[in-house]
Amino acid sequence: MKWQEIEKIFYFIKRDMTSFSTYKTNMILMVLSALFGALSYAYLGSNATMQSVLEMYHISFKDYLVIGISFSTYISQALTLVQATATPWQLEEVLVSPTGLGTFIIGSSAWGFIWSTIVVAIYLAVGSLAFGVVLSVNLIGTVLVLGLGISTLVGFSMIGAGILIVVKQGDPVTWLMGILTSVFGNVLFPPQVMPYQLRVISYFVPQYYFFTCIRLMMIGWSIQAILPDLLTLALMCAIILPSGYFIYRWCLKTARKNGTLSWF
Amino acid sequence: MSSGVAIETHDLTKLFKSRDGNSEGRSFLFNRKEPRMVKAVDHLNLEIREGELFGLLGPNGAGKTTLVKVLCTLLPPDGGNAFVNGFDVAREQMDVKRSIGALFSVGERGAFWRLNGYSNLEFFSAIYNVPKSKRHERIMEVLDFVGLKEKAFERYQRYSGGMKRKLALARVLLPDTPILLLDEPTVGLDVISSRTLRDFIKNDLSRKAGKTVLYTTHYIEEASQICDRIGILNRGKLIACDTPDALRRVIKKGEVVEIRLKSITDAQIEATKTMDGVVDVVSQVEDSVLGQRLLRFHLESIGSLPLILDFFFKERIQLIDLKREEPTLEDAFIELTGTGLEK
Repeated sequence: MKWQEIEKIFYFIKRDMTSFSTYKTNMILMVLSALFGALSYAYLGSNATMQSVLEMYHISFKDYLVIGISFSTYISQALTLVQATATPWQLEEVLVSPTGLGTFIIGSSAWGFIWSTIVVAIYLAVGSLAFGVVLSVNLIGTVLVLGLGISTLVGFSMIGAGILIVVKQGDPVTWLMGILTSVFGNVLFPPQVMPYQLRVISYFVPQYYFFTCIRLMMIGWSIQAILPDLLTLALMCAIILPSGYFIYRWCLKTARKNGTLSWF
Repeated sequence: MSSGVAIETHDLTKLFKSRDGNSEGRSFLFNRKEPRMVKAVDHLNLEIREGELFGLLGPNGAGKTTLVKVLCTLLPPDGGNAFVNGFDVAREQMDVKRSIGALFSVGERGAFWRLNGYSNLEFFSAIYNVPKSKRHERIMEVLDFVGLKEKAFERYQRYSGGMKRKLALARVLLPDTPILLLDEPTVGLDVISSRTLRDFIKNDLSRKAGKTVLYTTHYIEEASQICDRIGILNRGKLIACDTPDALRRVIKKGEVVEIRLKSITDAQIEATKTMDGVVDVVSQVEDSVLGQRLLRFHLESIGSLPLILDFFFKERIQLIDLKREEPTLEDAFIELTGTGLEK
């Protein structure tokens, strides 16, 4: 390769690096994500985790993992769906029509959840048929926990989307929720295996209650048995969902007032 | 609100924060420019009659899009009132939305690229409350209306720019509202598509269907060709509002006459400049071999012309042709705003 061509490649790298470095928030978030990712995978592979799963749920670590990963699809959908509706042209087209904000949010998110349900069903079917994951589903309980969990996360998603509409840059709420899910959400390992100082954080994270409850519903526990965790999740949902809606509405109103709805 | 009026504004004002400007506005603590308030729409009084095709003409940043967005309830006004179809844009938003169809200059992105034209319209007919029983019929009707019936089941992403614009217009027409707000509908179209769309808006939407159309543009020719009346907007203010002909007459101060002559000397040209009623004479050599020149006379009135012609006759100067120039709408715009527009 000629020197001139190598020099061109250098300028490609310089261009992209300079451009990338202007997104400082994004850079910081990526570094932090890597750190938290390493933390969660460290716990994932430990013997203490496997032992803890067996003691708490009386199921194998494989079953624990398959159920957790399957339902994390819902969580990631719930966190990002409202944001996806925040594209300025879509917002404007819908806001000039006689359609309410609630209909807009639910309508825009509905297909994502239907698709997530299909994906979860595939995960669980493959897990059950190919890898012998033992399931004994409490259907009513599962639907109840799913409804509460998704509604809570949609509340956070509305806060994130609202911030995005106003500040037009990265949305830290969605990022934070994603991190909290992977480390403190009881998806890949029970937070009980972490030191107390870290473990205590999970008690403030709705995902922890969601994954605890959904896992127990999938292995046949009764609703009464998970009542304390279920009520905590319901309480969080009752606070976060309406708060999210009002924050989103306020952000939308602010962007409309400032005339920045179509700026991105 | 009086009957027969489709859109009415009274002292309508919309303010935006701007961080542009001088350093005088810098904050003491952070050395950051303090935002100043810019009047995007400034005490605007406007009345558009039912069935009228009204053009809103102005340069970029004049406030055209802001006005359209206030009228379709996307932006709340900061002062004054605006009524659309008799409904207050600040207080009766749903009624306003049921009365209008709004097309924005980014309309192309408002459609769904992976769906076909029909499916796009099916979605929008639902959110515009078109009754389910009439939905198919209405979609086919508007597709036929805009000339896209044959392409109804082709994916939107394969549509040409003109077809995309037509589909955007079809979407606006779906709920069959009496008022259409079209914000620069021909932006990005080629000459032929742009002309077809203009003719469609004038002949089909305005004349045949009797819709009230507010049509914003920064193209002077567009506005003068199709609009019944034109409002000229500059820095948020409506500085003139009348028919295209009347606007031309507003600036018609004196007369401009162009005379093409042969064998006229510089001295003779200088002599014409001193004649009564002659404001100015601009001379241009057209053919130095034949001695042909074009003189552009700015006269106080057309009554000065016989005097000039008599002078040419006496001096035996050969007159090739004579043309009385009409002021254009662009002249009107420059006269009124002191600035030009893109053509």
